[in-house]
Amino acid sequence: MNSIAVRAAADNIPNTREKLSIRALSFFYGEAKALNGIDLQLHERQVSALIGPSGCGKSTLLRVLNRMYALYPNQRAEGEVWLDGENILRPEQDLNFLRAKVGMVFQKPTPFPMSIYENIAFGLRLYEKLSRAEMGERVERALTRAALWEEAKDRLNASALGLSGGQQQRLCIARTIAVKPEVILLDEPTSALDPISTAKVEDLIDELKRDFTIVVVTHNMQQAARVADRTAFLYLGNLIEEGPTSMMFNNPKDRRTLDYITGRFG
Amino acid sequence: MAELTMGAVQFAERATTLKRFIATDSFFRHLTRAAAISVLAILFGVFVSLALGAWPAFLTFGFDFLTAQSWNPVTEKFGALAPVYGTLVTSLIAMLIAVPVGIGIAIFLTELCPRLLRQSIGIAIELLAGIPSIIYGIWGLFVFAPFLQQHVQPALIDLFGGVPLLNQLFAGPPYGIGIFTAGLILAIMVIPFVSSISRDVFETTPAVLKESAYALGATKWEVIWSVVLPHGRAGVLGGVMLGLGRALGETMAVTFVIGNAHRISVSILAPGTTISATIANEFTEAVGDLYTASLIALGFILFVITFIVLALARYMLSRFELRTR
Amino acid sequence: MMSRYSRRLLRSRVWLTFSVGAAAFGLLWLVLILSTLVWNGLAGLSFSVFTEMTPPPGGAGGLLNPIIGSLIITALAVAIGTPVGILAGTYMAEYGRYDRITYAIRFINDILLSAPSIIVGLFVYEILVVPMGHFSGFAGAVALAVIVIPVVVRTTEDMLLLVPNQMREAASALGAPQWFVISRVAYRAAQAGIITGVLLAVARISGETAPLLFTALNNQFWSINLNTPMPSLPVVIFQFALSPYEDWQRLAWTGALLITAAVLGLSVLARTLASKGGER
Repeated sequence: MNSIAVRAAADNIPNTREKLSIRALSFFYGEAKALNGIDLQLHERQVSALIGPSGCGKSTLLRVLNRMYALYPNQRAEGEVWLDGENILRPEQDLNFLRAKVGMVFQKPTPFPMSIYENIAFGLRLYEKLSRAEMGERVERALTRAALWEEAKDRLNASALGLSGGQQQRLCIARTIAVKPEVILLDEPTSALDPISTAKVEDLIDELKRDFTIVVVTHNMQQAARVADRTAFLYLGNLIEEGPTSMMFNNPKDRRTLDYITGRFG
Repeated sequence: MAELTMGAVQFAERATTLKRFIATDSFFRHLTRAAAISVLAILFGVFVSLALGAWPAFLTFGFDFLTAQSWNPVTEKFGALAPVYGTLVTSLIAMLIAVPVGIGIAIFLTELCPRLLRQSIGIAIELLAGIPSIIYGIWGLFVFAPFLQQHVQPALIDLFGGVPLLNQLFAGPPYGIGIFTAGLILAIMVIPFVSSISRDVFETTPAVLKESAYALGATKWEVIWSVVLPHGRAGVLGGVMLGLGRALGETMAVTFVIGNAHRISVSILAPGTTISATIANEFTEAVGDLYTASLIALGFILFVITFIVLALARYMLSRFELRTR
Repeated sequence: MMSRYSRRLLRSRVWLTFSVGAAAFGLLWLVLILSTLVWNGLAGLSFSVFTEMTPPPGGAGGLLNPIIGSLIITALAVAIGTPVGILAGTYMAEYGRYDRITYAIRFINDILLSAPSIIVGLFVYEILVVPMGHFSGFAGAVALAVIVIPVVVRTTEDMLLLVPNQMREAASALGAPQWFVISRVAYRAAQAGIITGVLLAVARISGETAPLLFTALNNQFWSINLNTPMPSLPVVIFQFALSPYEDWQRLAWTGALLITAAVLGLSVLARTLASKGGER
């Protein structure tokens, strides 16, 4: 399985501090335990990938980081997640504040039923009072950063639903970075896209990591190998192993990691 | 590249905005909750106001109110038997016709009708449901009742003249208006309800289920009878009860053609009255508290009957939906 | 074997013919009713129907005051009932989606949806007409509003439930508070359906007579004062049709035609709106 292309830049992981520190995190859907005492550090301005077979808890873990689960009554988390010196799982944590710092892009592109311009402006209007000119500038900047400006600049007022799947997903990314978060969570961002759009989004992730902390959930190991600086392998709700991507793919310490990487199960 | 992340000033601004969000959210939540609770309040209010309004009548007559046939504003003796009888019988006649016809239409639309016509015929049947009931009323009075009186009822009277029980059921004279006519018009009004719900129910039959029956060599009717109908049993029943609820409470169509006679006759060709027709005809001219209270008491009885029927309908339909989820 | 199979085939054909007959039967009545309605209604249709007031028996006149009365009462009923209905439906689909009380509200709402409209009339009589001491157009509007509310609640909740949760999550993920998510995203996505629901409610109350019989009562003269009895098209039709006067009966048919045209027109409008919204 040496044909897996692993980033040569594995040795060039920037040595940054921890941005998100997950400690003893357990998660429950009703009575069922989905995550079991996870300890994990996510570093600033790096791409961390969460991999594992279906049902292992990787999406669940991601959704704890912006407390998306709080929308549903039966789901609860125990443990601590520290972001910039604060435990975001504490009850007093302001959820809107948290989500302003930690953005999320979903598996299925979810453009709002509005124009392209309005989609981006939506988030901006939540927090800032911007003049028409300023808003236009921010929209342009976000779309440029998401590599969508050239394709969108002549149809800003057209419905976002008219874009192709790949374009819609890049719009969602533009929407997320427009509000200037510090962390971006991506939940299987390319699983609904064709290979060309996938490549574009992966390039984007590579570029965005210069300014954001990025966490990607993917069921595609090759994608993790292409995109991530560090990788964490989850299985049945447990964190089995975590480390620099090159080490995880070439020299994993745990037998189960090796089996998953080599396709013995999953 | 620092422009992509937030500065300290913006951070502080964001904090105040977010605090405002919480207050507005709380307001909106309470507002919508109040609106939702008002739905419960309306039902509760209906029940209580009808009960209170009817109280004098129940107090005066007690249980005899339900069994007495007399309805005399002069002596102030009121009994609900005739209106209740009329309501039940007209609804029964209506359902006896509307259920097979409605289900038949649903079968036609889902299994037999060529796809091109399906939409238009379906809409046409639903137009029947959209026609206001007062239209049925005047059509019934000026067109249907005379037609029945001149052509159909004499024929029925002659047809059943010799048959022992039926000749009492269909005894003359042919008034044209009466319980039978009201039942027929109600049937036409209820047909689209039964057919549209049955149609929705039949359309949810999984194709694989039907295909396995066809694969065994079943005829089209056998597939419908043994697969489609049993699968949709609860749903169709719910639709039927919904139609029944409509028939029980229908006012305008019935008022025009029922004849407004406070009596019970064996013959269904005779005039009679229903609860809603009585209220509609007499309420504004009712003099005296007991008269008004008796009319409201009729309304209360109707409310209880339809509540039970509609609750059962809802229950059946939700059982059906749960099974097909 | 052959005869058994042909018996089964025959039985199938017989039953299926019956169901075709059922459809023809249903359509027959539709055609009969609509054609007599048009025939009799058009006979009395003239410009004066829209310009003159209701006449005394035996006189010539029109339906101006009941038409205006109906428009006013219907408009007020929609103005009262629609916001309550939309807000309630919003609670049931959004804030209160997982609340236990929502089950109860949905159940009760569906019962109210099919409740006899004459009961609604009695209810409003008890809570408005009796305390106020007189009949009024306002009471009539409230009675119709009570009929509007369950229709709008049901369609609003259904339409909002159809909006995919992922879209709400995407908006929440940007930090939007729940009311923002609801008003800017969920409503926007469901708007065609919600408007359709309102149109259907309007169509429904346009033809309702019973709730007005003892709330707004009737009025032979011009009345736009909501605090007094107001004429309405359905009630006038009721009065005229049951009378022994021929010109009144003719006006009743014309009025019936007008109401039916309005109701069916609104239904068609609602349907086209619904299918256009679904295409997106």
